[in-house]
Amino acid sequence: MDALVAPVPTVDAATWRAALDEAKSKLARLAVRRAGAVRFRVTDHEVRTAFSPVTVGTDTATPFAWSALTARRSIGVAAVRSLLAGRARSPLEAVRDRLAESSLWVRDGSSSATQLDRWVDALPPAGRAAVGAEAVTWATRLWCALDWSSFPSTPVVGRDHWWDSPHSALLALRGRADVRSANAHLVVLSGPRRGSVRAELALVTLVEALRLRGGDVPGRVVGWWPDSGHLVRVDPEPAVLTLGTEAVELALGGAGTSLRSAA
Amino acid sequence: MVLVAPRPLLRPAPSGDAPVDRGTGAEVLALLRGDTAARPRFDPGLAGGLRAWLEDAAYDVIAARGEHAPPLFLGPRQLLGSADELDGRDGRELTDRLVLSRLVRALLRQLVQTGEIEDPLGDALDALHASGEEADTAEIESLSAPARAVLAETLALHARNLTGLVPRFAPGWMPRTNDRVAIPLAGGRIVLHGVFDLVVGLPQPRTASVCALGLSTSGPWAAARRSLHYLALLETLRSGSPPFRLALLESASGRYGVEDVREEHLRAIASHIAAWLGNADSMNTDSMSAAGAATTDG
Repeated sequence: MDALVAPVPTVDAATWRAALDEAKSKLARLAVRRAGAVRFRVTDHEVRTAFSPVTVGTDTATPFAWSALTARRSIGVAAVRSLLAGRARSPLEAVRDRLAESSLWVRDGSSSATQLDRWVDALPPAGRAAVGAEAVTWATRLWCALDWSSFPSTPVVGRDHWWDSPHSALLALRGRADVRSANAHLVVLSGPRRGSVRAELALVTLVEALRLRGGDVPGRVVGWWPDSGHLVRVDPEPAVLTLGTEAVELALGGAGTSLRSAA
Repeated sequence: MVLVAPRPLLRPAPSGDAPVDRGTGAEVLALLRGDTAARPRFDPGLAGGLRAWLEDAAYDVIAARGEHAPPLFLGPRQLLGSADELDGRDGRELTDRLVLSRLVRALLRQLVQTGEIEDPLGDALDALHASGEEADTAEIESLSAPARAVLAETLALHARNLTGLVPRFAPGWMPRTNDRVAIPLAGGRIVLHGVFDLVVGLPQPRTASVCALGLSTSGPWAAARRSLHYLALLETLRSGSPPFRLALLESASGRYGVEDVREEHLRAIASHIAAWLGNADSMNTDSMSAAGAATTDG
């Protein structure tokens, strides 16, 4: 996946700063408009559902529940991290270790134990095997897709980045990426190809840009569908910041009609 | 079908309650491993040629259906036809077979993950619960005691055969189950999809280096083999190289077969799909528009 190590095109600093300032002021207006509302986190999921109103009903009607499918990424990224650190020799081994760790943490009353760890620990052995199998497939596909030695420095695996609005504690944006290198962010995608995917990836660029100090330009964002091998590349350009901000606005139920019809 | 070892292609299942030959999994493993120095190198233009062929056929369908028609999601059932449907089996029997297929596949995943099955029906139900497949589990749990006993007995037979057939892969073989493939054609307006039951080996550029194992729970053998060839085609389109070897395990009988993937297998399936697409405008494709949307990727 050369897109992760290839140089990012240069961006005109003044144009970038202007687009970033515009994005910040628009987000400030959105935050103020939502004052008094409940806390709202905009993630790729909200962007996706905002673009596809048909699925909103079904998604919101079904409350989140842990399952082999919803747990695979959390366990899978932990497994890939373990492989990268040389603590495990294969995804199967790494996932088994991670599942064993869940039980250990829960039984020891460790503060590291999450809701997922408690769910995994409560499963019967066959249920845990089903969860492990799904995570092994997820982790193997990611582990085998990249030439890990080609990164100049060790990439960060499975760390989501948040940006909290300085104007309202009620608004936060999440940039989800599964592998982060010095100049690129890889997002493992699932579900069918959709018009919203560039906006979902633009949200990652936006969060990175907002978190960087001094108006620095973040890296490229690469979306990858393991099922098909397809890649979507979003280079950091001023227009991507605009797209990301409009996607947030749409997710918050604001304007963005043009975005939705464009999708 | 090309044999890669002097073994009968269809190995008979042990009869009655005789213990399954534990050596069978080792035989499957030896056949999959084969001669590691002789991994076939495929023409790097093969995948592109096959895709171009299918894209041409897909664009003809889009031209006939209209640019704004919803995407078509096509899997082996639509493209290759279900043997059950051809046999004229009734809906109840089809549902039972589907449920059995899901349960046996859950046991296969468990076997690969942990190497053992303790209580086939209980384990499979636990796996379906954990996978969020509550509708199936509720249906099975609501069965009468005699019906449940019959299902448990049937599943135990499949589990015994699977335990004998499925090799114990070293973790370094990177065994992964339920590997979904989805290949968009015509800009995503047609999606060919399928699921590998089990894949082993590391993908390598320009070399066929992975093996795929398919599970057939109810046959017929020829249809299951054709489905595996279809998946091999999808893998070729996804990664540029086909799997180099395929194994088909029949859990009801304990039979198995292993064969190399050849270009003619891929061409034959691509030709079939192109012909299917050529006739698609005369079919009712409404039910194929939404079916796979929730589960297929990419």
